[in-house]
Amino acid sequence: MPKFEVSKDDLERLVGKSFSVEEWEDLFLYAKCELDDVWEHEGRIYFKADAKDTNRPDLWSAEGIARQVKWALGIRRGLPKYEVEKSDVTVYVDEKLRDIRPYGVYAIVEGLSLDDEALKQMINLQEKVALTFGRRRSEVAIGVFDFDKVKPPIYYRAASPEEKFIPLGFEEELTLREILEKHEKGKEYGHLIKDKPYYPLLMDSEGNVLSMPPVINSELTGRVTEDTKNVFVDITGWDLEKIMLALSVVVTALAERGGKIRSVRVVYRGFEIRTPDLSPKEFEVELDYIKGLTGIELSNEEIKGLLERMMYEVELEDGKARLKYPSFRNDLMHPRDVLEDVLIAYGYNEIEPEEPELAVQGKGSDFTDFINAIRDLMVGFGLQEVMTFNLTNREVQFTKMRIEDGEIVEIENPISMKWSALRSWIIPSLMEFLSQNTHEEYPQRLFEVGKATVINEKAETKTRSEDRLAIALAHPRVTFTEAKEILEGLMRHLGFEYEIEEVEHPSFISGRSGKILVGGREIGIIGEIHPQVLENWGMEVPVAAFEVYLRPLYRGSFL
Amino acid sequence: MELSYHEKLTLMVLGKLKKARYEDVVKEAGIDQVAVMRALLGLQSKGLAKIHERQIKLIRITELGKEYAQKGLPERRALKFLAEREKVTLEELARVLSEDELKPIIGLLRREGWANVKKEEGKLILTITEKGREDLNKERPIDRILKILAERGEVESGEAEKFVSLKELKRRRIGEEDSRSEREVEITEAGMELVRKGLELKEEVSILTPELIKSGKWRKVEFRRYNIKAPVKVPFPGKKQPYRAFLDKIRRKLIEMGFIEMEVESLIETQFWNFDALFQPQNHPARDWTDTYQLKHPKMGHLPEKELVERVRASHEHGWKRGSRGWGYRWDPQKAMLLMPRAHATALSARQLAKGVQIPGKYFAIQRVFRPDVLDRTHLIEFNQVDGFVVGEELTFKHLLGILKRFAVEIAGAKKVKFLPDYYPFTEPSVQMSAYHEELGWVEFGGAGVFREEMTKALGVDVPVIAWGIGIDRLAMFKLGIDDIRYLFSYDLKWLREAKLVW
Repeated sequence: MPKFEVSKDDLERLVGKSFSVEEWEDLFLYAKCELDDVWEHEGRIYFKADAKDTNRPDLWSAEGIARQVKWALGIRRGLPKYEVEKSDVTVYVDEKLRDIRPYGVYAIVEGLSLDDEALKQMINLQEKVALTFGRRRSEVAIGVFDFDKVKPPIYYRAASPEEKFIPLGFEEELTLREILEKHEKGKEYGHLIKDKPYYPLLMDSEGNVLSMPPVINSELTGRVTEDTKNVFVDITGWDLEKIMLALSVVVTALAERGGKIRSVRVVYRGFEIRTPDLSPKEFEVELDYIKGLTGIELSNEEIKGLLERMMYEVELEDGKARLKYPSFRNDLMHPRDVLEDVLIAYGYNEIEPEEPELAVQGKGSDFTDFINAIRDLMVGFGLQEVMTFNLTNREVQFTKMRIEDGEIVEIENPISMKWSALRSWIIPSLMEFLSQNTHEEYPQRLFEVGKATVINEKAETKTRSEDRLAIALAHPRVTFTEAKEILEGLMRHLGFEYEIEEVEHPSFISGRSGKILVGGREIGIIGEIHPQVLENWGMEVPVAAFEVYLRPLYRGSFL
Repeated sequence: MELSYHEKLTLMVLGKLKKARYEDVVKEAGIDQVAVMRALLGLQSKGLAKIHERQIKLIRITELGKEYAQKGLPERRALKFLAEREKVTLEELARVLSEDELKPIIGLLRREGWANVKKEEGKLILTITEKGREDLNKERPIDRILKILAERGEVESGEAEKFVSLKELKRRRIGEEDSRSEREVEITEAGMELVRKGLELKEEVSILTPELIKSGKWRKVEFRRYNIKAPVKVPFPGKKQPYRAFLDKIRRKLIEMGFIEMEVESLIETQFWNFDALFQPQNHPARDWTDTYQLKHPKMGHLPEKELVERVRASHEHGWKRGSRGWGYRWDPQKAMLLMPRAHATALSARQLAKGVQIPGKYFAIQRVFRPDVLDRTHLIEFNQVDGFVVGEELTFKHLLGILKRFAVEIAGAKKVKFLPDYYPFTEPSVQMSAYHEELGWVEFGGAGVFREEMTKALGVDVPVIAWGIGIDRLAMFKLGIDDIRYLFSYDLKWLREAKLVW
């Protein structure tokens, strides 16, 4: 789902090896990415990567792809190892943040020399992790700061909305409240904290503000440039496990560029932790389970080798594989997840597809067959089939049809009011179709077999989508009779006796419309469209139409 | 040799005339001249007659000529005037002649010897001669040809020259030279042969009427030969919607391939079936407000039987059974009750699995699904998905690839396929397939995966289930010859009327 740009040179610098574009296309697959696009800019080749796995933020950057490729090619094997030295920096977390944004985790990465590409990747990774993995910052928000401008210890505290600092991109101090109102990021993310009594604020020992998570960094410390050597990483959220994972993703990516990771002491009321925690996680799978589902012949040792190329440390014992996997992953829920890694390392395209031999017989739904027979009959009457949208609106369904108002299935979040409801009858869709073809030669004779959705309190979905046939006939001499002839033909060919009972319906001309009854049960409506309705649709020829429900006319399979 | 009624008639006329002008043939045949020409062309193509075309030089009367024909030539008018007066001055002649005619009149009268001219007191006096009196009522050749020209409008040059020289006619501005082509028709030896053998001329009819059939009169008539190459009016037959017909074809194909069609009734789903039953966690990005529609009215539906709901809840929260740790959050039944237009076809697979399936079994459905998007050339707001699953005790990943490849071969006519790792919250492992289509190149044609055990177990199925979906819209657009996806649900009657058949 996340898409981002990477430069070919940067990737190759990270892997330590060069490849052709075609080779990269295949290498991307190891990182569950698709190479979406390739282009050249100022002599450099760039790739657009489409990361498939929404649970693998470690793969959403050049560093992540390069790391996976190094392993997949066997340049490195087993568990990636990162040195973490303790720093003497402490962050104190304010208890008052409990219902505001309770957790923060931190790290320092030293000795960086970031060029333009590296900076771009760092920003991209932060954005993508916060957006997709962090659900638009609601669950994960990331800040990276120039550590040389920060004076520890650091405080993550609940601040009054009236406190002030200069947000990134501004020249003057704003109160926290003003930032939410005026700053672009404040408008975008302010809703996450707006209604809280206090706002989260990250400050150093001299009272300088680093950031107001999850909204914006300060102008003072929040600008990371090519001159920045040491960075301080801050990740906030609601779920400690989740933000720890995000921290692993970010710091190990920086470590791939030669940064030295240093841990930070984080003090909460009643407990303290040291972050980042890059110790590997453990999982266990039965080798037979893996082998059984792949469909390919694999020895235990081969499985071990494949998993080592996917950054696992593997210990084989009693038909089981005890696995250690990197701290930046958290997506192993079930042995299936390990199975997929085995297959990706093996290469999907290295596996010969094989069709299963199953003793099964195909069968179409009898009701669909019935519907198709009715469609054939309508074609036999010389009618043109149309297929229109179920999505529509009140105006089409009611107003234009001269109906005051009615109950309809409505969409809560329509993109456009034009598509804000589901149709409760099909004739308005046919009227809409006719109104868009007034320049075409008449007669125009249409039919559609489709669904109309009505409210039904008893149903599981409180609605019922009924299969219906609707026809509309338009030409200068059309009358009720022509529509009735087709209805007559339909009923005779289905073997039903029907009756028409006169009804007053605002969409039709009085005295020329009726309910269609079969065995006393109403199964549809027929009539000549009211001239006001025609005028509403901008039509200048008369229209006769009917709509019938098909379920009541269905007697089961023909055979 | 088949001859039409008109051809026979014309040939008979030619048999009599042998060689004649076209006009004369028309006159003799007594039928419409267009019919004669058509017949002659027919006869010529059969080698029975020859049409010669020749250029004819002719003299055509001028406007002035017409005027002279009515009033008389100037010298005639002058002579008549002289005869009345015996003696006139030149000035007096102006009463019957125009200024232009006056100038050359003395020369003309002298040449004819109709007048004597003298000068008296500085004025020219004309007196009529004896010859003048004699010629007063005598028609000269030039008078004669003027009369003929006035009658016919034009005269062949050769004929006119029998009277006066062409030069003279031109000089006097009575006639001008012109030419036209004339058709002459001649019967050939083969034509004569046919005429000699005798031709039977039957009445020709245009339409075979019930009367002709009933009365048996059809035996005595000839049917007019039609120009069967003539263009006809374009008809608009009743037809199926082309995209729907394409979907019908896909349906038949899938049934042939051993799949059972699942029935789709409702377009509306609870989130339970659209997401929760598919092991999609309630905070999953795909459940976002912006990615799927929600209903305002009605807002919430009902959950299915308790036991099933309980199993789904347990799977989400802690994996429920064997080997999974679940998503690790508190599952909210209220959220699962929210209603939405179905966002993907997999929802139906979940329903079918819960309802019970044949094992082994292959299932499919073609369903309408809804996504909030802006309707444009490349996006639809509701569209059809072709989806299903294969369930079987011994199914493996290799089979998954095999099933996908078969779709590519059978449906897209692909020769090559390639597979990419993919991600769906409800399958693991997951695959995307690209198929190589001769004309479209590599096309993303489908996706598949093995349903996660957390999902299938909760729905009561304990064997591997391979879920698949194929993306047929690009193929449909290619096959239907359109580059605007909205035409799949076309509101353009002209396009529908002209669309080619799908079978």
